[in-house]
Amino acid sequence: MKPVHVFSTLLALALAAPVAALAQDQLPTPSPIEKSLADRAEHTTEVTLDRNMLAFAAKFMDSKDKDQAAVSDMLKGLQGVYVREYQFAKEHSYTTDDIDGLRKYFESSDWSPMVKERTKGVATGTDVFVKLVNGQMQGLFVLDAEDKELSLVLILGPIDIEHLSQLGGNFGIPKDAVKKAEKKVTK
Amino acid sequence: MDNNPPNPQLDPKIADLERRLRLALRHQPAPAGLRTRVLAQAQIRRTSQHGRTWIFQRLAASLVLAAVFAGLVAWRQAEERRKGEAAREQVLTALRITSHALKNAGTRINDSSNDDSH
Repeated sequence: MKPVHVFSTLLALALAAPVAALAQDQLPTPSPIEKSLADRAEHTTEVTLDRNMLAFAAKFMDSKDKDQAAVSDMLKGLQGVYVREYQFAKEHSYTTDDIDGLRKYFESSDWSPMVKERTKGVATGTDVFVKLVNGQMQGLFVLDAEDKELSLVLILGPIDIEHLSQLGGNFGIPKDAVKKAEKKVTK
Repeated sequence: MDNNPPNPQLDPKIADLERRLRLALRHQPAPAGLRTRVLAQAQIRRTSQHGRTWIFQRLAASLVLAAVFAGLVAWRQAEERRKGEAAREQVLTALRITSHALKNAGTRINDSSNDDSH
């Protein structure tokens, strides 16, 4: 191999590495499954906030309000938040294939499954994936499929469990769930 | 008129009036430099009037510009506040959904833990 080729290969690798890392930290684009679910849902909530929007939103949190100040602290350093909630009029308006399709994005080496709960024969269940980098939680994915409701939560960036715990009770986040999740991660 | 001699048949009073009128209305040449002075005065008046108009125009334009700028700043601030509050609401909505999903996850963890222990 000529030195020029070696150099160009090394350069390409050097350029590709940050791009690949960036791609991992980027919010996903809505999949066709999500569009199909939104069509079937009676009520859909979609929240997509990138790092800039999170920082912008943090500025508008009321610093005098204890809860909002805690949220503002939690938002610091987050790369993005991607949340989808589909509420259906009828039970089981989605299939196991839909859930599997949504889960596929996170079945990579970067994400570790933390909770996987299924009910045989019924398309309900809960999945919790975490992204760990050097022992620190850098991402959280929750897929909660209920009879008439499907929720998808993706939080990218350093997630401080203490901060999340502080929000427990205030925003309905149960402290027990967080603590138990933390224990499972550290195992 | 000046060349006409006084009419001897007229009343002496009228003749006297006529004479005085003639004297008062006789042509007299303008003082030297009057025209120049009058034109110079008119020019000065015109210039100062133009200057005042120009200042008023500039002042009015500045006021209009300042009002437009202030309006734009106020609109931009209001728009930014509206967007910020919408983003804040979105964050709180996301947190609500996250908490709901985590709560369900917690319940399932609890349930499965209880099942395992039995």
